[in-house]
Amino acid sequence: MSRITPKMRLVLLLGALGVLALVVLACSSAPAAAPQAAATAAPIVQTVVVKETSVVEKTVEKQVQVTVAPNMRLVYNSYQSDPEPRKQDEDLVAQFKKANPNIDVEHSIVDHEGFKQAIRTYLAASRPPDVMTWFAGNRARFFIDKGLIMDISDVWKQQGWDKSYPKGFQALSSVNDKQYFVPTSYYWWALYYNKKTLDQAGVKPPQTFDELLAACKTLKDKGITPITIGTKAPWPAAGWFDYLNMRTNGPEFHINLMLGKEKYTDPRVAKTMDNWKKLLDAGCFIDNPTAYTWQEGLQPMIDGKAGMYLMGQFIMDSIPKDKQADFDFVRFPIIDPNVKVGEDAPTDGFFAAAKSPNPEAAKKFLAFLGSKEAQTYFAKNLQRLPTNGDVDPSIFTPATQKGIEIIKKADYVAQFYDRDTTPEMAEKGMAAFQDFMANPGNAQQILANLETERARIFAQEQQ
Amino acid sequence: MAATGSVEATRPVAVKRGRSHRAPVYTPYLFLAVPVIMFLIWVIGPMFYSFYLSLTNWDGISSPDYIGFANYQRLFKDPLFYTSIGNNVKWLVSFITVPVALGLALAMALNRNLPGARAVKSAIYSPYILAPVIIGLIFGWMYLPVQGLLNTFLRTVGLGALQQGWLANPALATWCIIAAAIWRQVGYIMVLYLAGLQGVDPTLIDAAKVDGANGWQQFRRVIWPLLAPVTVIVVVISIIDSLRSFDLVYIMTRGGPANASSVMATFMYIEAFNNYKMGYGATIAVVLFLLTSIFIFIYLWRVLQDELEY
Repeated sequence: MSRITPKMRLVLLLGALGVLALVVLACSSAPAAAPQAAATAAPIVQTVVVKETSVVEKTVEKQVQVTVAPNMRLVYNSYQSDPEPRKQDEDLVAQFKKANPNIDVEHSIVDHEGFKQAIRTYLAASRPPDVMTWFAGNRARFFIDKGLIMDISDVWKQQGWDKSYPKGFQALSSVNDKQYFVPTSYYWWALYYNKKTLDQAGVKPPQTFDELLAACKTLKDKGITPITIGTKAPWPAAGWFDYLNMRTNGPEFHINLMLGKEKYTDPRVAKTMDNWKKLLDAGCFIDNPTAYTWQEGLQPMIDGKAGMYLMGQFIMDSIPKDKQADFDFVRFPIIDPNVKVGEDAPTDGFFAAAKSPNPEAAKKFLAFLGSKEAQTYFAKNLQRLPTNGDVDPSIFTPATQKGIEIIKKADYVAQFYDRDTTPEMAEKGMAAFQDFMANPGNAQQILANLETERARIFAQEQQ
Repeated sequence: MAATGSVEATRPVAVKRGRSHRAPVYTPYLFLAVPVIMFLIWVIGPMFYSFYLSLTNWDGISSPDYIGFANYQRLFKDPLFYTSIGNNVKWLVSFITVPVALGLALAMALNRNLPGARAVKSAIYSPYILAPVIIGLIFGWMYLPVQGLLNTFLRTVGLGALQQGWLANPALATWCIIAAAIWRQVGYIMVLYLAGLQGVDPTLIDAAKVDGANGWQQFRRVIWPLLAPVTVIVVVISIIDSLRSFDLVYIMTRGGPANASSVMATFMYIEAFNNYKMGYGATIAVVLFLLTSIFIFIYLWRVLQDELEY
């Protein structure tokens, strides 16, 4: 034993040291993530600079040898990472290249969630990508207020977009009468339903809240889940909050709540939650919604075991082609006919970075993206709604026309909970809605906690 | 003490040799400098930078403003912090008990030349090779309320009353994730113990047998003490793995429902990268780091003391 001990001691010490090093690594790698974001900014800048100069050198050479228009360079980063949108995105870039052979486009597609996290690093760089995809409304406004988005009023004027784009989209793209954003497409939210399932149960698509409650009862009696939802990622629950709150209290109150100007403890919010509780108490929703992703929540509806789903138009992308004919949608039921109608219609689009190294190319590309041609192409292939009013409506499918009707009839168009309020508030709110759907009796406590968060978050924002 | 004593005892010899025969004593330091500088840049530097960030309100884009210890004050009042810490404690307690016991039992059982033992060992170790993301997805499907394997099984064997929305139940979600993590961990612990058992001198066991020790006594009095160094490593690794748990939680519940299964790492990630509160995220990271290091230091100190008595 005595001969083993020193060996073992050594092994132990070495092992312990190794483990300690591991701990340091394990712990620091996580916290290091934040500074990494800052640290990576510098190398990115450097590589860009190097490439940039090399391009410039090349063009100089070319100019000496042959007299062609100088080559311009354009860096375009997008989040269109799903298969269909990705194809469209690449096609659009190809079309632009064809029309502008003198612009060298460097196109990177980053996955959607990753893009949302990376955009701050892009914008913090001294030579950011020139053009990027983004969300219209508050998410863009945040960067505009920090001076990170290029003023493109001249592009708007040149292209005559003040005539081709409806007022609502102009407002969405402007701050103090200057334009910063090119909205390109949007989609509607609606109560989607399985026609066959509802027909078999003898239920008509509900137009009012009472009809919705009655439909729930009938479907439930027939052993069908009336409303399906998957809230593992919590945003689908926020759709319900948006609509119930807008239908109960009107869009104006809803938007003020989103902007932190109203309190979550306001009796009007309590009224919204009461309406939601009525649906929950009537057993309208699928059991254990937090166990499902939104696509998993869709499955019972495709199988005819669930009737309805409040979702954006992109729900159709996830329904098998041969089942799509079974699906239809209605405007979210009216609760109080005296309340103005608000709809969620999230708008996507493009902007150029204020520090773009190639502003001329960036503006050309934005002008192309907002053009009638590009928008027609986008609308035809993805069935999203184009924002440019010049697009010929005859290319729309009947479903699209119905969606447009819903938006046209609306008194106000909101973006969606997690775009209308701050990211932090959205995170807290959506967790609270998950909680509420499981414990509707705790509404008062849940709203009180949410109000504490709202007060803290918006006090910070104003600093 | 004994360790430092022995180092001191050998050092004069080494120094004498070095000075008399080879002049440049700093050569080893030059070689060391490369990894040390890399370590400083990529590990120590970011650590201190994180600490600095935790004193700011950095949102990832504006310049960070120094706000003193405001983030810490907020953190210690944040109910989510206590939920997350509590869940990390559940992870920790589960990890230093269940997989360690199971891994040791499997190692003992498989540490003989039974036919097929090698195949069984490989099978038990294989989950550890899988990416946690895949394990998270598959277990997530097994836990699905209606069509999931677990509930289907319960219905089939007539235990339908036990059916649950496993991951949707706030009281169960964390335990369900831990169960998946344990499934992955057991094989790894088993392999560590198998390696440890290779180092146990069979003559000692034979000697114990000659002395009339039964199976349990052989294990308790001979094998277990000889496995002590391995156990130390196993426990420390388990503690680290439990404190840094992130991937399974993020994949299976994203810390939900309503944050019920949140752990420090997911809490930190969501604050920093989803809510863009880098300063607050750094604060959580610093606290997690301090908690981990305190724990490890206490543990190492105790282990070294035990070693001295031994």
